[in-house]
Amino acid sequence: MFKRFLSLEWKQFSRSSYFQKGLAIKILLILAALYFIVCFGVLGVFSFFLIEDGFPNEDPLEVVNNYLVFWFLIDLGFRFFMQQLPVMNIKPYMIIPIKRETVIHYLLGKTTLSFFNILPLFFFLPFSIVLLAQGYNPFQVICWFFSMVFFTISLNYLNFLLNKNNKVFYAIVAVLGALILLEFYHIYPIAEYAGLFFNEIYNKWYAVSIPLLLMILLYRRNYKFIREGFYLDDAIRKESKEVSSTDLGFLNRFGSIAPFLKNDVKLIIRNARPKQVLMMSFLFLFYGLIFYTQDMYRDMPAFLAFASIFVTGGFLLSFGQLVPSWDSEYYKMLMSQNIPYRKYLESKWYLMVVAVVASFILSTPYLYFGYKIYSMIAAGALFNIGLNSFITLYGGVLNRVPVELNVKAKAFSNTQGFNPTQLLIALPKMAGPMLIFYLPYKFINFEAGILALALSGILGLVFKNFFLNQIEKVYQKGKYKTIAAFDEKK
Amino acid sequence: MIEVHNLSKSYNSTQVLNIPSLDIPKGQSFGLVGNNGAGKTTFFSLLLDLIQPTTGNIKNKQVVVNESEDWKPFTSSFIDESFLIGYLTAEEYFYFIGELRGQTKADVDTLLNGFEDFFHGEILQQKKYLRDLSKGNQKKAGIVASFIGNPEVVILDEPFANLDPTTQIRLKQIIKDLAQTKGVTVLVSSHDLIHVTEVCERIVLLDKGEVVRDMMTSEATLQELETYFAR
Repeated sequence: MFKRFLSLEWKQFSRSSYFQKGLAIKILLILAALYFIVCFGVLGVFSFFLIEDGFPNEDPLEVVNNYLVFWFLIDLGFRFFMQQLPVMNIKPYMIIPIKRETVIHYLLGKTTLSFFNILPLFFFLPFSIVLLAQGYNPFQVICWFFSMVFFTISLNYLNFLLNKNNKVFYAIVAVLGALILLEFYHIYPIAEYAGLFFNEIYNKWYAVSIPLLLMILLYRRNYKFIREGFYLDDAIRKESKEVSSTDLGFLNRFGSIAPFLKNDVKLIIRNARPKQVLMMSFLFLFYGLIFYTQDMYRDMPAFLAFASIFVTGGFLLSFGQLVPSWDSEYYKMLMSQNIPYRKYLESKWYLMVVAVVASFILSTPYLYFGYKIYSMIAAGALFNIGLNSFITLYGGVLNRVPVELNVKAKAFSNTQGFNPTQLLIALPKMAGPMLIFYLPYKFINFEAGILALALSGILGLVFKNFFLNQIEKVYQKGKYKTIAAFDEKK
Repeated sequence: MIEVHNLSKSYNSTQVLNIPSLDIPKGQSFGLVGNNGAGKTTFFSLLLDLIQPTTGNIKNKQVVVNESEDWKPFTSSFIDESFLIGYLTAEEYFYFIGELRGQTKADVDTLLNGFEDFFHGEILQQKKYLRDLSKGNQKKAGIVASFIGNPEVVILDEPFANLDPTTQIRLKQIIKDLAQTKGVTVLVSSHDLIHVTEVCERIVLLDKGEVVRDMMTSEATLQELETYFAR
């Protein structure tokens, strides 16, 4: 039976529309996966020696154990946003003679092979091998390794339970935040206590039974959960919460674009996919940390300019590139209504601008890195508002991919809204600000570079009407194509 | 009200619609019947400028629909669920359409009051998004939304499908009223020959994209249609 399921699964995969898209996308996806695998592998091989150098007085394994709790929490966080729930189209199986147990075991079993479970292996396996080579007790190392595997798979199943319950999730996020703060300000050494726990797991080989039991427990909990819900009304139809109509009357001050703006706000807060984008764009705020903290980039301000764009532009870039795809589900209706494209576009533009301004305010802590960095972020924000917003909107029009609003994007299979045109459009978004900054910086000085970047944004604002007119024309030209593309079966 | 000239639509040299000429006067309730693939939805899509005609054009109140957008303010339609915005509640959706068509909230409320019977308590104040309503209830919401803003032309694709019997009967009355008392031109397509003959003053039968019958409804119409489809 499992074999037959597998073959169906394979057909679903190989015949799905995204897989039949371009070769380029497939290669890129594989490259992305490889990139992560290599990163984890390298980390696995070298972290032992790096820690040994960094903390000569400590046992590298203990250091790793001390931070494992954060590793697992972050893992869980990523899973929550990126990992899909195990979904199989169970409707056809309900009326044919297959044991429900079989279907459920298959459903749960296949999630074990998820990329999220395999990726950590690329760290733990080489790390364990290094431990062995360094003369650690082989039996204990092997038990420790399996403990890690069981913990990882436990997270896998925990995530599915969490995904069904938002409250639990937010509780976990709050706890995680608190833990990090406590640790960061040395108020309470959380990592140490968690470290003790993981060290014990290493020291006492039979402690491997704890994660093993945890895994089995969570598996059974999931099993029960699905078993109880193995009926059409529960499993297939998503529970619909009580909702109330909201007016968002305060947005009426925006005049003629108000109806669109109100709709867009609801679009973002009521659908899984845009919510995901919102969360991800929040993470973009921290992008600067990668660049600003490293001395290597201090001398390459062009890269800092690049990073500054992302700090304030996360939402703009990720939301904007899917305009008008966000409205693909009801695009035909919009097109048969009396809708001025201009108002529609302006509404999206305002949303993006508001997001940039909000990100800019949230990025105030970057002042810590000095006024130079901060002025760069400010200039980047201006560039985002004045130029990037229009470039992104323009790119979106050419990006005729239907988006399923209430379905989370799958990690590593998310090719919705991703094609070569998109790459071409991405070029000016990334290289543009670097160039605008770099040339005056090279020939005059740092301040001139900042000024040029800021001025380019202001210039863009001055020509707002011109840009919107141009984009509107593209819309008009591509109307039928867009309708047809959005109409395609997903 | 609606004039069709030399209209045809082909996909890769396969012709799916060919209507040399068709006039629909103002205030007529017009029914379109035909088997699957006859071109009903294609015709409506052309009328709404959702696809481009291969040849010819359609004039809606003297406006060539694929050249100007001036027909939009007085034309409204419900083709399928993709005309609904899934993440809005029914009320929010009605107000949104109202705003697009220049209606105040009060205007929309007044109109909705008239449809309380039709809604049968299943649409308004449901605390549900449209995407969570049943197919039938979604359809009810979509159909009523197409009446917002005093349109002069209303286009409904298969409005009777998925509706429960009570609602079907009410909808028939509503469509008749629209055409007879308010002078609205109503275009309806349907697979249900009985409904369409009851509601429409005129019925056009499409087959493989061609008009094969064009008749004013009389007592004999239903019989004639049944004979045609039974062949």
